[in-house]
Amino acid sequence: MTRSRVLGLAALVALVVMPWVLARHQLSLLTDLLIFGLFAMSLDLIMGYTGMVSFGHAAYFGLGAYASALVLLDFAQPVPVALLAGALLAGVVALPVGWFSTRATGIYFAMLTLAFAQLLYTVAYKWRDVTGGSDGIAGVPKTALFWGGPGLASPQAFYFLVAACVVLSLVLSLAVVGSPFGRALQAIRENERRFTSLGRDPRPFKLVVFVLAAVFAGLAGALFAPFRGFASPEVMFWVFSGQGLMMVIIGGIGTLVGPILGAMVFILIQEVLSSYTEHWMIFTGAVFVLIVIFLPGGLVGTARRLGARG
Amino acid sequence: MTPLLETRGLGRAFGALQAVADVSLAVQPGELRAVIGPNGAGKTTLFHLVSGLLAPTSGRVLFRGDDVTALAAPARCRRGISRTFQITSIFPELSVLENARVAVQLKAGGNFRLVGGRGVLDASARRARDSLGSFGLLDRADALASTLPHGDQRLLEIAMAVAQEPALLLLDEPTQGLSPEDTAATVAVIRRVARERQLTIVLVEHDMDVVFDLADRISVLHFGELIAEGTPSEIRANAAVQTAYLGGLD
Repeated sequence: MTRSRVLGLAALVALVVMPWVLARHQLSLLTDLLIFGLFAMSLDLIMGYTGMVSFGHAAYFGLGAYASALVLLDFAQPVPVALLAGALLAGVVALPVGWFSTRATGIYFAMLTLAFAQLLYTVAYKWRDVTGGSDGIAGVPKTALFWGGPGLASPQAFYFLVAACVVLSLVLSLAVVGSPFGRALQAIRENERRFTSLGRDPRPFKLVVFVLAAVFAGLAGALFAPFRGFASPEVMFWVFSGQGLMMVIIGGIGTLVGPILGAMVFILIQEVLSSYTEHWMIFTGAVFVLIVIFLPGGLVGTARRLGARG
Repeated sequence: MTPLLETRGLGRAFGALQAVADVSLAVQPGELRAVIGPNGAGKTTLFHLVSGLLAPTSGRVLFRGDDVTALAAPARCRRGISRTFQITSIFPELSVLENARVAVQLKAGGNFRLVGGRGVLDASARRARDSLGSFGLLDRADALASTLPHGDQRLLEIAMAVAQEPALLLLDEPTQGLSPEDTAATVAVIRRVARERQLTIVLVEHDMDVVFDLADRISVLHFGELIAEGTPSEIRANAAVQTAYLGGLD
């Protein structure tokens, strides 16, 4: 068995036993970390594997959160229906946005994704009848696992749902980046002109992975709404998109697992320090700078380098 | 016999600058054609026009007798025109094998297999290894392409194009920046692979020794225009070429 398999299995066992190890509020925090981990992982698909830096990824998390909130609150459907709706809405909106944005590369792509995200943020902010405007949608319930099925209100139940979603998304994403399609993405990241001259237009590849990343971000948002009980415009704001980039870089760009850990580190720093000081962002920024300078490749990239050496 | 590649009155202007003007040439299957000319003669522009990276402002490109002028670069590659670049163009942070494998996959298909696709990966890896073997790069297959010495990176780029099993191979200054020893080795490899795989090659080259050593026929560009064409000995004896180009080197 390879080292990465052993680590993966250990992580899986750890995830399963956590509800019996952690206190109630700690389990709740871990659930939160996993949701943001999924968000950062989805961003890594386009950023780390395809070389497309999006400044508007929060929009898809937000779309997922709103769709999920509405399905749960207004239609009282089981949570998986809300997850499906969230992932679907994010993917459907990402299709035209991606179609336009992937016509540009580099900083222009980043700016287009930012512009579209801010546009979507404004819609969420202004369309009071549907989104509740600046108040957002509150009181989103954790309904059942299926019609007439067990409720998900207990922290343990919802934790397991989130953990299962994150693990499945990770496994699926790992399969994608190892597939012929995923290998093509990495070639695009490395040298787009060479890719084109070897016989394919890179744009359809970029569009597909852009939509795929949005679907996973939408799933994360769809988990967020019932877990926190609300959806609000803040989760679509560009600041959150920027934090996503930081999570990916802290954890290790182009590793999928790294960004999940990066999100955890990022949120934990915020969680711990914000109870002491309102200036916690100074420390997050400092940690970010130190990691970029001293641990290129992030936490996982550095660990792999040391592992390969030792 | 229908030429494999034919250009008819091909031209490209950049504003007031006519980089390539009214170039008509025909390359027969199995031929090794060199395109020479001083700096700025329009050699690389001609390559971009043939491979589809640039659209011409006049004229047509025919491949196997079909007009491919309207086709973009990826479509021309899939029809059988593979190329390399003057400045080494590889996938630096992918392995040597993966560089060649992706080249095969992109042309052969199966690119939108999002999960699985083991068959696609294995089949393309076989052809990639075969090509890397021809260029003596197989023992470095697992190394990152960026860690290869410059000469091997240039060979890798050719190996990627050859792995695609093209009908026409365009080489843009394959010996650019190489030491005399590496140049000799590269020329030997190109000659051997061309013969083994019965490739038709058009190459742009600066190094006159390389050109007269390798080419069956030579086309001479000067200020975007085709001023001469013939066998190496004919070109050597051509007065116009002497003045325009070769004389400048003596």
